Amino acid sequence: MMHPSELLSALLDGELSERERTQVNEHLATCSACGDELNGLHFARAAVRSLPLLELPAGSRPAEEELGDVVHMTRRPPVWVAAAAAAILALFVGMATILAPPTTLEVRLDQLSDQYGARTSLEPAITPRTPVPVLERVAGPIE
Amino acid sequence: MPDDAPLTWEEVARTYGRKIYNFAYRLTGNAHDAADLTQEVLLRVRKGLAGYQPGSFEGWLWRITRNAFLDDVRRRTRKPTAALPDEFDRLSSLASPSPDQVLAKVRLGDDIQAALLDLPYDFREAVVLCDIVGLSYDEISATVAAPIGTVRSRIHRGRKMLKERLQ
Repeated sequence: MMHPSELLSALLDGELSERERTQVNEHLATCSACGDELNGLHFARAAVRSLPLLELPAGSRPAEEELGDVVHMTRRPPVWVAAAAAAILALFVGMATILAPPTTLEVRLDQLSDQYGARTSLEPAITPRTPVPVLERVAGPIE
Repeated sequence: MPDDAPLTWEEVARTYGRKIYNFAYRLTGNAHDAADLTQEVLLRVRKGLAGYQPGSFEGWLWRITRNAFLDDVRRRTRKPTAALPDEFDRLSSLASPSPDQVLAKVRLGDDIQAALLDLPYDFREAVVLCDIVGLSYDEISATVAAPIGTVRSRIHRGRKMLKERLQ
């Protein structure tokens, strides 16, 4: 194998394939020149890695006013999305109420009996099992 | 951190702000420039998060950082007086040191930093991304848009030049 000079840094960084690593290690076992070069590279690598990780100076994050009209990104949808969704929903409900044709309400006595039992008890002739007329009326509050 | 986990801007600033600052400082050797660059990168991240597609977040972040740095270098090149004083001071302090002085000072942070700044930009960038930021060769390749063989060569040649200056 020729001197594997450019592979020596990658060897230090664990960036060689298994085959490359085997070949380079076999070469290093017999080549003192490459061994010396490896030591020098190791020194340079260690020197750079010895540099302290500096603290981020205060004020290096953009101030709020600098962020200006940038959309605020969070994992949750922004507040305006929820507000817009609520407004659209309210609009649909309102339109449906206004535009819907009059409907027939079927009020069954047995339902009223369940809900207003005290009233039906005043009329013993009428029980939930008595055939009851279907009351028709337009949509509106039940009085 | 999972690659596909969406991050808030605050999380990016908290997690990566210091790394971005160190990347910029080791490339420029100037605390003020590094702080400005960090601020610029965080602004770009804030704007870019809206369009970020889940993938390699680090690759995306370091490409933004590198582009911001190169834009800054181009801007300063158009206004050379802004960068020259620091550069001249640094070079004059390195003029003709005796071998004893070199041996006494080697491994001190200032000398390592000065040796880094003497490297050609491509080599310095590759060494800083590898040894300061801690990216893999694959990640560096994606960040600087160069083949992995080129990254390998830049790191190797950068370290050889550093060794010559420091030993």
